[in-house]
Amino acid sequence: MDQNLARTYDYEVIKKFTIAAVIYAVVGFLVGVILALELTFPELNGNIPYITFGRLRPLHTSAVIFAFGGSVLFATSYYVVQRTCKARLFSDFLSNLTFWGWNLVVVLVVITYPLGLSQGKEYAEPIWPIDLLITVVWVAYFINYVGTLAKRKEPHIYVANWFYLAFIITVAMLHIVNNLAIPVNLTDSYPVFSGVQDAMIQWWYGHNAVGFFLTAAFLGLMYYFVPKQAERPVYSYRLSIVHFWALSFMYIWAGPHHLHYTALPDWASTLGATFSIMLLLPSWGGMINGIMTLSGAWHKLRTDPILRFFIVSLSFYGMSTFEGPMMSIKSVNALSHYTDWTIGHVHSGALGWVAMVSFGAIYHMVPRLWNVPLFSTRLVNVHFWLSTIGVVIYIVAMWISGIMQGLMWRAYDTFGNLSYSFAETVAAMHPYYLIRSIGGVVFLAGALVMVYNVAMTLRSATPATSTQAA
Amino acid sequence: MADNNTVGTTGHQWDDDEGFPLQEYNNPLPKWWLYSFWATILWAVVYWVLYPTWPLADGFTKGILGWSMHGEYQQEMDAAKAKQKVFNDQLAKLSLQEIRKDNQLWQYAISGGKALFGDNCAPCHGSGGVGVKAGGFPTLADDDWLFGGDLDTIHETVANGRTGQMPAHLQAAGGSFSDAQVNDLTAYVLSLSGINADKTAAARGDALFHGDAACNACHGDKGKGSLKDTVNGQPPPPVGAPNLTDKIWLYGGDPGIVRDSIAKGRTGFMPAWAKGSKESGRNLDPLAIKQLTLYVHSLGGGQ
Amino acid sequence: MQHTTIEKSIPLMAILTLILVSIGGIVEIVPLFFIKGTIEKVEGMRPYTPLELKGRDIYIREGCYNCHSQMIRPFRDESERYGHYSLAAESMYDHPFQWGSKRTGPDLARIGGKYSNEWHKAHMLKPKNVVPESVMPAYPWLLENTLKADDIEKRMQVLAKVGVPYTEEQIKNAKTDLTAQASANADGSGLTQRYGAKVPKADFDGQPDRITELDALVAYLQMLGTLVDFSSQQATTR
Repeated sequence: MDQNLARTYDYEVIKKFTIAAVIYAVVGFLVGVILALELTFPELNGNIPYITFGRLRPLHTSAVIFAFGGSVLFATSYYVVQRTCKARLFSDFLSNLTFWGWNLVVVLVVITYPLGLSQGKEYAEPIWPIDLLITVVWVAYFINYVGTLAKRKEPHIYVANWFYLAFIITVAMLHIVNNLAIPVNLTDSYPVFSGVQDAMIQWWYGHNAVGFFLTAAFLGLMYYFVPKQAERPVYSYRLSIVHFWALSFMYIWAGPHHLHYTALPDWASTLGATFSIMLLLPSWGGMINGIMTLSGAWHKLRTDPILRFFIVSLSFYGMSTFEGPMMSIKSVNALSHYTDWTIGHVHSGALGWVAMVSFGAIYHMVPRLWNVPLFSTRLVNVHFWLSTIGVVIYIVAMWISGIMQGLMWRAYDTFGNLSYSFAETVAAMHPYYLIRSIGGVVFLAGALVMVYNVAMTLRSATPATSTQAA
Repeated sequence: MADNNTVGTTGHQWDDDEGFPLQEYNNPLPKWWLYSFWATILWAVVYWVLYPTWPLADGFTKGILGWSMHGEYQQEMDAAKAKQKVFNDQLAKLSLQEIRKDNQLWQYAISGGKALFGDNCAPCHGSGGVGVKAGGFPTLADDDWLFGGDLDTIHETVANGRTGQMPAHLQAAGGSFSDAQVNDLTAYVLSLSGINADKTAAARGDALFHGDAACNACHGDKGKGSLKDTVNGQPPPPVGAPNLTDKIWLYGGDPGIVRDSIAKGRTGFMPAWAKGSKESGRNLDPLAIKQLTLYVHSLGGGQ
Repeated sequence: MQHTTIEKSIPLMAILTLILVSIGGIVEIVPLFFIKGTIEKVEGMRPYTPLELKGRDIYIREGCYNCHSQMIRPFRDESERYGHYSLAAESMYDHPFQWGSKRTGPDLARIGGKYSNEWHKAHMLKPKNVVPESVMPAYPWLLENTLKADDIEKRMQVLAKVGVPYTEEQIKNAKTDLTAQASANADGSGLTQRYGAKVPKADFDGQPDRITELDALVAYLQMLGTLVDFSSQQATTR
């Protein structure tokens, strides 16, 4: 087709974000493994304040969600929006601003968290100057993205872009409201909201960071890369319409399921639970569209490990979007809340779905961005198996420890007295923390294989080949 | 499976420069998906009718079941109370000594005591009262008591707490003795439990112990502590002064630690579980205190 | 309206999305600010003393909320283990809230007064020395670091701006109150007059010559959950 069009695309920013994503994946997983080991062997931090669990855990969550996940989303959304609009990104300046701005955010986070500079709100730990920087980058991202959409040649906006757009808009709203604070000095501030209202706003933010950052946006990714890699049309346009709007509307209500049986009023809790249940099928709409798109291309799974990443990620997506609504039922939540079950659930989504669909997209993009074949398809397969085995070990360990912990907390002896002290339940977790660490190490090993594979691919790309398509 | 489409595509096409172009089939919504979606919505609507859900101008829809989490909690607590009523009535009525003699009731009491001990007391005294590494927290599983190991004394300790005050002796720490004198006292105290120390220093310490420092006023003339010893033939005041002759150390028997105790003094504090905790909602009612008492008494050193 | 109309228009797509994602948040969040009884009427709630406030800042700095909740749920096992279930009123002055989401360690909502200051010191220096099962890291630097509180008045002013009822007198005397609370012997009449007679006042870290971060943190922990007196009143239910 029209090679001139392809040459007009801005691939440089995508390449940079792709390399950043690969590096941040390793960093984020590595910090996760260190944390898992710190819970297994608490002396491991060597009494160094900067790497205690409490300071490092936000670094892990931010590194995997915002550094790795964010870079993947910037890279893929810029890739997808250009190719589906047949237009170069709106502004090279804004593209660069988003790349350097976002990476500056990451660097500042890596510096400030270990120093103990934190807002003290989960997944929203960055201090207020970093929050402002995020806002600036996000506005630039929105303008750049919408500006590119406006240049499209095909009047219909492709479904992947609906999801990316919803993600950009909603995350802006969540970020601004949840981080409203009054500064004390350059590093410290106190949030405007307190107590029960702050809790509700925090989990409205926190749950929809999952909903729009880790679900909607990655569904956008899925809607481009799965049909493209499978070389099949998307299964159902109608389903994509219904599940897109239903998901956007319903996800936002689900936050209170993080606050069941707390001091949040009953009514809010009910809304959170019921909307979480109603969210199940809209969530599954994406899985159905993905898997049914692959159906008819099953034979390709034998030879194409990238497709394997996609099918398994969609399976984990389906599983964790089923588990989530179940855990939002009040009586189930009464058992699961505060335990490792939640941690396991998050990781089946974050590792099984987000990371694996990202790996697939990265392996799809790299040869096209640098215009050279992948160094090794076999190593992609190795990465696939390490990832899958790692996730399974991880979540099974957390299921057992989480459910066991929940049951031990509420266990009563024949006289009707509590059977276990809290300390006894902590001791019982030890073997599962060790098994979880092993799962994490296996998953991390997979990511290292990816780094090697991508690095070797890039080495074979000469300046000539890599600029040809850029 | 052959092809998965039952209908044609929408006719739109994207990214057709390279590879397979993006297209969309226009398959209908899967029936099972649609019906399941409606089912969850129906379930939610029913739930909204039954349970508190929608915020109003000042209040919220209560739901026809009249459910609330605090109501559910009250029911759970009432049911538990009813189940344990037979035992609890007995516990309330009988004295500690009587309960100790009724085997089944005693078993019930120490089961409750164990549960209470695990979350409230073990952080200081160790699981099962076996003690902890850090100094200042007495082991309960031995027969070395500071205030007494009979049921009534344990009950008093748990209910109202204890404070053990050992004054500082070194001038620099607010006491009235020199460095050398504190060394002498240390040597004497160590010699009481047979630890070899400088004999002449210990002799000087002996004089101080029974003289200017008046350690014997609390620890007794023989240093056997406020429980077992006497001062001039009279029992010392019940201040929890430890026995210094039994090689069981509250803060550690290392010469440096013993010297530290003498030089800077020590304050041991056991919270009052009947009073302070009730105010903060950690309600250890009189039955709980009784159960704890019987449990601690059963740990090995009860008298 | 046909969906083809929407999917051909960026403004339509964007505005419809924004409207749809706004509804849930508005319905769930806004009423919490005006429905009476959302925050129970209780007696005893007061703002944090300057020392407790600094302790709370350290609690947040160290990320304690990653492993400890401050939210007791209305279940029998939780009330038997930790005490009366938590009320919304008890965190009304918490900017930000610290309810937490995970109990790798136990709930701390009512840790105040449960253990002695000496225990907290021993525990922070090396948790395993008192709780062998613990997986908590040691925090020896808290005992070494002198508490920095130069800007305590500024902090209280900011909190007053967002609704914490600090009086001018409380802000003016912040440093005096801070020093008084961390000392066993200093005159605490001003402190108790401004914050109430129940304020725990002690040399929390056992180092009378200086005020450390441990003083502040233990002062904060020792007041958690102690403000509302559950023995004299029935907590209002919604």
